[in-house]
Amino acid sequence: MSEPAVAVIGVTKIFPVPFQRRSVVALRDLTLRVSPGQIYGLLGPNGSGKSTTLKIILGLVPPTKGRAEIFGKDSNLVASREAVGFLPESPYFHKYLTGEETLRFHGKLGGLRGAALKNRVEELLALVGLTNARKRRLGGYSKGMLQRIGLAQALVHEPALVVLDEPTAGVDPAGAGEIRDLILHLKERGITVLLSSHLLGQVQEICDRVGILANGVLVREGALDDLLGIENQTELVLENASPELLGEIETLASKRGARVLDRRRPRTSLERVFLEATESPREQTRRDTP
Amino acid sequence: MIRPRHRAFSLGRIVAITGNTLTELTRLKVFYVLLLFALVLIGTSIFMAQLTFQQEFQVVKDIALGAMSIFTSLLAVVTTARLLPQEIEDRTIYTILAKPVPRVEYLLGKLLGVLLLLALSIIAMGALFFIVLYLREQTVLYETTRQMSTAPPEQMADALRAVRASAFSAGLLPGIAIIYVKACLLASLTLFVSTFATTTVFTTVVMVFVYFIGHLQGIAREYWLQNNSAGWITKSLLALVALLFPDLQLFNRTDDIIAGNAIPLALFLKTATLGLFYTGFYLLLAWSLFFRKEL
Ligand SMILES: Nc1ncnc2c1ncn2[C@@H]1O[C@H](COP(=O)(O)OP(=O)(O)O)[C@@H](O)[C@H]1O
Ligand SMILES: [Mg+2]
Repeated sequence: MSEPAVAVIGVTKIFPVPFQRRSVVALRDLTLRVSPGQIYGLLGPNGSGKSTTLKIILGLVPPTKGRAEIFGKDSNLVASREAVGFLPESPYFHKYLTGEETLRFHGKLGGLRGAALKNRVEELLALVGLTNARKRRLGGYSKGMLQRIGLAQALVHEPALVVLDEPTAGVDPAGAGEIRDLILHLKERGITVLLSSHLLGQVQEICDRVGILANGVLVREGALDDLLGIENQTELVLENASPELLGEIETLASKRGARVLDRRRPRTSLERVFLEATESPREQTRRDTP
Repeated sequence: MIRPRHRAFSLGRIVAITGNTLTELTRLKVFYVLLLFALVLIGTSIFMAQLTFQQEFQVVKDIALGAMSIFTSLLAVVTTARLLPQEIEDRTIYTILAKPVPRVEYLLGKLLGVLLLLALSIIAMGALFFIVLYLREQTVLYETTRQMSTAPPEQMADALRAVRASAFSAGLLPGIAIIYVKACLLASLTLFVSTFATTTVFTTVVMVFVYFIGHLQGIAREYWLQNNSAGWITKSLLALVALLFPDLQLFNRTDDIIAGNAIPLALFLKTATLGLFYTGFYLLLAWSLFFRKEL
């Protein structure tokens, strides 16, 4: 196996509670690996330690025990952050900066200058669909726009890994869908994505692999197909099937030693109904307005 | 992308953070303080119509330099105290430090942003002050010429020279420079306090204490030394106090200047160096705490 994009090795994190004798164990002996090219979802209820894990990976919080690595470089080293971009949980950024200024600033921190910086900012504004909102101050951005500018700043120095803390939290379904598409687009370009979420439905659609945290312990981990797939069952969706055809299929199945367990009309998701119902009037304005 | 090797220290990144901090601060309308300064100046000029011109210039300088000292100190503490908490609230501290930016560069960039803001403010206040002083000088000159229109030319020339001498003097500039250095020191100390403080209010309260202790400690020390022979324990204790609570009285050189005595160059250099030393020292202290701070 190639070098993991992220390795968390035996990490325990204990937060002391000020002026009290007790302390909070946020993570307990956590070990985690993210392979390059994957979309990895870190799931868990609020307070389960997702953000803490991500901050330890980025060297923002030192672990009490254990260590973390990004492409083999210890997270304590500043140089490990060359290869990673981070979108923190509910970012607001500097309200007085415009979208373009925000990207330029973060680009400079990533070592970009001059024409390269200018081109990269253009490219990213287009990628996240904020070209028309570039001159507006972030104070007037919607939640979805903030998340997209946040994603853009995480990508500005072309990192091989992006870490996203709750990228779709608080964003409406259309906005969440756009962010999901962006994440899939990143995967196509070979970028590894580590994201945290407590919104399971959204994760299910895009993650290759998930880990489930509960009270700071990784209780389940594996490829999404392995976790969700039922080994010996197959789903079949037909259009315009007559009752006779269904009967024939059932007989055929029993002849071959299989069995039809369930027969039902598939239902579209509430999300899709919502999206279809709200789509048309929003289509032109959606991308750049709150 | 072909990536140049990571630079452990980059001036470009610091400049970016400094610029960003300055932009953020200037857009926060802190310059209303300058408006207040202008009002104070204009207010004093109005109420002084009945004084002699020497007295009048004296009062204008006294009030202007005093206001500059208080306003820059205030600006230094208030803007720096909210710097880190605000960045945490906006989450920008995470996006910045998740980039390959060493924490010392971050602190340095932030502090330089404040120092630049303070420099701009003091330049603006100084300019305003000199304009007011110049305008008053011109009025007094005009009136003197009119009143003495019948006097012999030498006498008139003497009178005009006296007016000019008591208005602007080059000695004001080092005085203003020292006010600036004091503000730098306070900003750096505020940054240090804010690395371990949990709230902006706490930082501000601590700094108010430091400000008063800093101004009083010189007097207290002299009094103490007068009544006690200083053993090495006392001396090191006093040195420690002086390190954490800088003797701010040292930076109040304005009384002499207003009285017309220029600060000797050696004393000016000594004071400025001391102030910059303190500024650097507090930055180091801030870094030592910020280096491994959980964010
Ligand atoms: N700076 C901190 N100080 C004290 N406790 C903290 C701190 N950060 C997080 N915690 C605690 O650690 C636990 C995990 O928090 P977090 O990682 O933010 O969870 P999640 O992101 O999954 O919602 C929570 O119980 C939280 O209260
Ligand atoms: Mg969280």
